[in-house]
Amino acid sequence: MVEELDKRSHKLALVVDDSVMQCKVLSVLLEEEGYRVYTANDGIRGVDMYIKYQPDLVLMDINMPRMDGYEATRQIKSLSKGNLAPLIFITSIDTELAYIESIEAGGDGILVRPFSPEVFKAKIKSIQRISDLYAQVKMLQQSQQKDAELAEQLMSGVIEARNFGLDRIGIVKKAATLFSGDIQLTAQSPNGDVNVLLGDFTGHGLRSSIGAIPLSETFRVMTKKGFSLFEIITQINTQLFHLLPSDLFLAATFVHVSSQDKTVYIFNAGLPDCYIFSANGQIKQRIRSTHPPMGVLEYLLAESKLEIYSVQPKDHVVLVSDGIIEARNKKGEMYGEKRFEQAALKGVKKANLAEVIIEDVNEFSQNIPQEDDMSLIDIPCCDWQGQVYNNYQSRSDTLSALDVLSQTGPAWEWHLKLTGEKLAKINPIPMAMNQLQNIEGSGEHWQSLYTILTELYVNALDHGVLNLDSSIKDCAEGFADYFRKREERLELLLEGFVELSFYYYYSHSTNGHISIKIKDSGKGFSYADYVNPPLSKQAPILSGRGINLVLQLCDSLEYSDKGTTVEAKYAWA
Amino acid sequence: MTIKKYVSENKKEVTLSIEERFDFSLHQSFRNSYVNCEQQNTVFNIDLSNTSYMDSSALGMILLLKDHADKLQGNVVILKPSDSVNKILEIAQFHRLMTIEN
Repeated sequence: MVEELDKRSHKLALVVDDSVMQCKVLSVLLEEEGYRVYTANDGIRGVDMYIKYQPDLVLMDINMPRMDGYEATRQIKSLSKGNLAPLIFITSIDTELAYIESIEAGGDGILVRPFSPEVFKAKIKSIQRISDLYAQVKMLQQSQQKDAELAEQLMSGVIEARNFGLDRIGIVKKAATLFSGDIQLTAQSPNGDVNVLLGDFTGHGLRSSIGAIPLSETFRVMTKKGFSLFEIITQINTQLFHLLPSDLFLAATFVHVSSQDKTVYIFNAGLPDCYIFSANGQIKQRIRSTHPPMGVLEYLLAESKLEIYSVQPKDHVVLVSDGIIEARNKKGEMYGEKRFEQAALKGVKKANLAEVIIEDVNEFSQNIPQEDDMSLIDIPCCDWQGQVYNNYQSRSDTLSALDVLSQTGPAWEWHLKLTGEKLAKINPIPMAMNQLQNIEGSGEHWQSLYTILTELYVNALDHGVLNLDSSIKDCAEGFADYFRKREERLELLLEGFVELSFYYYYSHSTNGHISIKIKDSGKGFSYADYVNPPLSKQAPILSGRGINLVLQLCDSLEYSDKGTTVEAKYAWA
Repeated sequence: MTIKKYVSENKKEVTLSIEERFDFSLHQSFRNSYVNCEQQNTVFNIDLSNTSYMDSSALGMILLLKDHADKLQGNVVILKPSDSVNKILEIAQFHRLMTIEN
């Protein structure tokens, strides 16, 4: 960069002096230093020439007709904001006052006559050195600004534009002048549940957004393939740990909303408390950070787990980044959690939480420049699956066709048997879905298949192998209790198995059908009540909402081997 | 915004004390204050008793210091964070990574 500045052959200098003689002398000296020189004989003309030629250096006399040097300097300096063209007063007024006034008018130096040509040239060189430095800083600043703009564009245009469900999820994003790297991601899993992430990368500008691209890809792809939120978090942590330098990390809160189960799963790693608000704005839960930010540790802490909460359909989960809580006003006070909670109460009542909060923060901080990005995500807890299942119609008429097809044998089969410890460590569902998609391509019906597969697999593992009683889940605390027991038993699991089998049948008249067979090593159960519940026992006894859902989605569901084997058939027209 | 540095006589303990704000502007001087400490088993104390504010880049700087200390089989100890600073350390769950003495 320095070279580039040096190469710029002829720099321009402007000499403003009412003495033609002086102009001549200074011009000669400047030309010897490689400048091209313009001259003006009074202040007004000086300002005009400055505007016209934008010189790199100005030499200014003090006493001149029409406009004196101080006034001309004030005008020039106000014109040249952000662009340092050094201005030196050349004068024979050797008083303290002249010196002070020159500097106050905006001069960068003063040279008192008489001086030798050598002293003059030295002065010019020193002032030019400063202005070159200034130009370098300016250039760096501009390239940094470009980086920040690029980073911002990446985040909002490329990454966040692909978010899911933006018509229902309220997102506020207000970037600080110094772009700081908040990121909001939403994606839908194959069964219609939603995963949401609010993240805050350390640092500023492009540097802070390097991690954003792999982060958003991992989050989206794994969600779509049906990996559990915890598996996604584990992967993201490892990925960021290897990708980012030690001082760069991602504080993030992850949420999985399952409206079918009326449950949310939350993991807060380094962000301020997040909230579950009831329909009337009361705080039902405040979820604290329990883990260092993503990318700090190579492995998640051993005791890491998702927090599980039962929710009502009208509840909202609200995530905030520290930019909101730490916003300051003129007195230096922080906005803080109390104000946030009060505004949230108002916001929920007005059914527009995101906007109410932002207005409230703006009113509080008034014109104080923002120090950090402010962002907030407001997630409603209901009706996420609606869109997935609405277009499904029962097709009992295809059933008979299935039976005919089955006799010709499957076009392909796929089996997977997990035993003992592997059951605790491996989630076979994304693998199975991957196989299906690799062979048959992707399609909308995979969402239903994913749900069938997940529900049946979880039943086989939980109730079959782990022998958990689902009636534990009936009350709100029971849910957490259930998951605790599940984890305990998984940890100790040494034997037992679950076997998954897929049989795929093609057909000329239809698109074929698939049979999913799952067998477990459990004791079985009296399945008659589940598949054909007696009238007296309908609805409430079915803590197995899962089976109910599967029944709606597939064409047939059959239990055998005392309930240790289940086969679901699914066809699409 | 300054960093004061005290080195114990046996050079085994380095205390960095940070005044007022601990943020990105201290990046270079914070790094300079420890990079030349190559003594094995050095304990680096970060005294935050006079720190009024800390941002996430400060957390990053502390992690870099921890990397440095780990290489020397040393340790990082955070001393006396004020309430507001402690809150930030708590949100980031730094007590899981190093000792924090109140």
